[in-house]
Amino acid sequence: MELNRRQILKYAGLGLAMPAVSPLLAACSGGGAGSGDGSVKFEGWDYEAALVQQNLDNFTKTTNIKVDYTPITSAQYVQKVVAEFTGGGGPDALYVYDDSLAAWVDGDYLQPLDGLPGVDEVYAAIYPGNAAAMTYQGKRYGLPYYTDSNCLLYNSEILDKAGIKKPPASLEELEAQAVKIKEAGLLEYPIGVPAQLSDTWWAWVWALIFGSGGNMFDEQQAPIMNTTDTVVKDVFSWLQQAATKSKVIDPACLQLLAVPVDNAMKANRYAYTIGARYASRDYNDAAKSKAAGKIRLALVPSLDGKEHGTVSNTRLYALAKDTEVKDDAFKLLTYLGGLDANKQPYTAKFWFLQRGLGFAYKSMASDPEVTASLEKFADPKVYAHLGEVATPRNVLGVPWYTEFEIEMHKVVQGVLSNQVQPAAAVAGLAQTVETLKKKYN
Amino acid sequence: MAALAERRPLGDNAKAWALNAPAIIVVTLLIAYPIAYSFWVSLQRHNLKRPRATKFVGLDNYGALLSDQAFLSALKVSALFVLLVLGLTVVLALILALVLNERFRGRGLLLSLALLPWAMPGVVNGLMWRTIFDAKTGALNGLLTQLGLIDGYQAWLTSGTGAFLFTALAQVWNTLPFAVIILLAGLSTIPAELYDAATVDRAGGLRRFVHVTLPWLLHPLLIVLILETMNAFRAFDTIYVLTGGGPGDATTTIALLDVQTVLTFTDFGLGSAYAWVITAITLLISVGYIGLLYRKGNFEV
Repeated sequence: MELNRRQILKYAGLGLAMPAVSPLLAACSGGGAGSGDGSVKFEGWDYEAALVQQNLDNFTKTTNIKVDYTPITSAQYVQKVVAEFTGGGGPDALYVYDDSLAAWVDGDYLQPLDGLPGVDEVYAAIYPGNAAAMTYQGKRYGLPYYTDSNCLLYNSEILDKAGIKKPPASLEELEAQAVKIKEAGLLEYPIGVPAQLSDTWWAWVWALIFGSGGNMFDEQQAPIMNTTDTVVKDVFSWLQQAATKSKVIDPACLQLLAVPVDNAMKANRYAYTIGARYASRDYNDAAKSKAAGKIRLALVPSLDGKEHGTVSNTRLYALAKDTEVKDDAFKLLTYLGGLDANKQPYTAKFWFLQRGLGFAYKSMASDPEVTASLEKFADPKVYAHLGEVATPRNVLGVPWYTEFEIEMHKVVQGVLSNQVQPAAAVAGLAQTVETLKKKYN
Repeated sequence: MAALAERRPLGDNAKAWALNAPAIIVVTLLIAYPIAYSFWVSLQRHNLKRPRATKFVGLDNYGALLSDQAFLSALKVSALFVLLVLGLTVVLALILALVLNERFRGRGLLLSLALLPWAMPGVVNGLMWRTIFDAKTGALNGLLTQLGLIDGYQAWLTSGTGAFLFTALAQVWNTLPFAVIILLAGLSTIPAELYDAATVDRAGGLRRFVHVTLPWLLHPLLIVLILETMNAFRAFDTIYVLTGGGPGDATTTIALLDVQTVLTFTDFGLGSAYAWVITAITLLISVGYIGLLYRKGNFEV
């Protein structure tokens, strides 16, 4: 065949284009989960990615299983993972929020772990609330990454200056203490909570409700906030009073996300907030916080001053349904969320010691190394007790949960800014649930 | 050589198709197909949380919008937002363009400064204004306190009205320069003789503006109105960063609701329907503008 100049140019162009086009075509072709080279494709949100990689390197060294780890920005984690699974190129193993578990199981992204080696043992070793959060429709879908329960975090120095000897047990007492701090000229607004609209759950609202023994839903996920359970309305009434009458809750909360509230606590600008236990480690870190050594944990104050409980969340490691490297991926899951050869939760302990992340394993509460580390930023007894009394939200299994949570944020904003009355707020939430149920039926 | 001699030259039509083919293919793949696909998705119940429940529902998603309180509220917020942003943008851009059209010392510097906000991405714009409006450390609070206009720092974005107005201002600040450029270009095309003639006819400044400047600016104004309406209707990033749509629903525009529906609730069917409604409304408004202004801008001065 004789080639002319035009043909030479044509083939040269094709030759140059192919390397560029091939990966594009490969990417477009989708395919099953995994990296395709035998390694385990592992994805998680980008919390402490360097430490995660360090831990994974240790796994690879001991097992010779390669892990292809991709951290994804936490703000986009759910959307990106959903997009990947929808496009047919999801990971083999991944982090999962308990909020997303039901939807991802219904979406055929995950596979149950029942019957796999060591799973029963793990579920027997963890707190029941965490086990419940990782179980959907009777099947177990995860091994625990970390968990936390919400509590009252208070600045003991500010309370001392105001002559307050102990943290509040009731919401009435919390308000009275905050008024005292305000009147002493110590802080204009002693209470801060993150109340700007966002895509993440407002743990503090659930903690206040659970802390007073209430709930928004019964066990069949029917709304009870407007019927048999008056706690939600009463908690909303307290919030409104504290925000607009006694004015102890900072009105600026409506434009504050979690990080600015953390920063305000660390700068001694709030005396109280309601947040996760592990925040106390950050708040009490002298390198980051002016309030170091002053922040204490307490149970969430209740309407009646009695102890009821709090809310917990669970982050888990799960296995993709379509993984082609199931055995290796499950070994990775066991390393990260399970028990090692010595029956110790190696990675759970690693995270607690490194960053103070809450643990689901009951045995860790009495581990001397753990308690020694814990004493540096929290009272181990209060810390452990919060873990015991915490329960997960019982509405995570419904497909409309996210919509409800976002609507609840708007309603609470209305309550805090006095634009919605508590009775109307709970009626509106109950109506929202009915509308969402119809939409999803 | 014989082969080349035998080849028949391409006709004009064939050449035109051949030359345009790459662009047509790219536009089809990257623009036409996604648009058509989004319409197809809008005709389905399609939520990633329930992939097994995906089915064709015809116009049900569109029908449901009539009783969708979230949609109706967002539509109302969007309409008010567009009116406010558009009104402020057109008036301020006109004033700024008239000033910048004059010759004075420092005009170049002022022009450069006026164009600066246009180069700023919406998210950065939102972050900047959030810092300015901050209830604890915001520059606005600092300025007003130092001027003695307020006693203490205020949380500007915590009331519905405040959040709405300040969000609209932030949006105007970001989009104003584009309108100024268009109007400035329009002003530069007006023949100086027209102003001279009007001055000879003893027309004052206001009459010169109404009878000379404005008619010549109708076409640039039309472009500004169409593009700024589209911008304001689709406004998302600045609002998302500043208020997240709150407090309550006060700044939840239809674009914000659309992104939330698709990305947070993963309801692609309903979200696509929202997107098509935004498109249809913008199209209707644009056609309305053209009907109102295009024929009037015939330069009959």
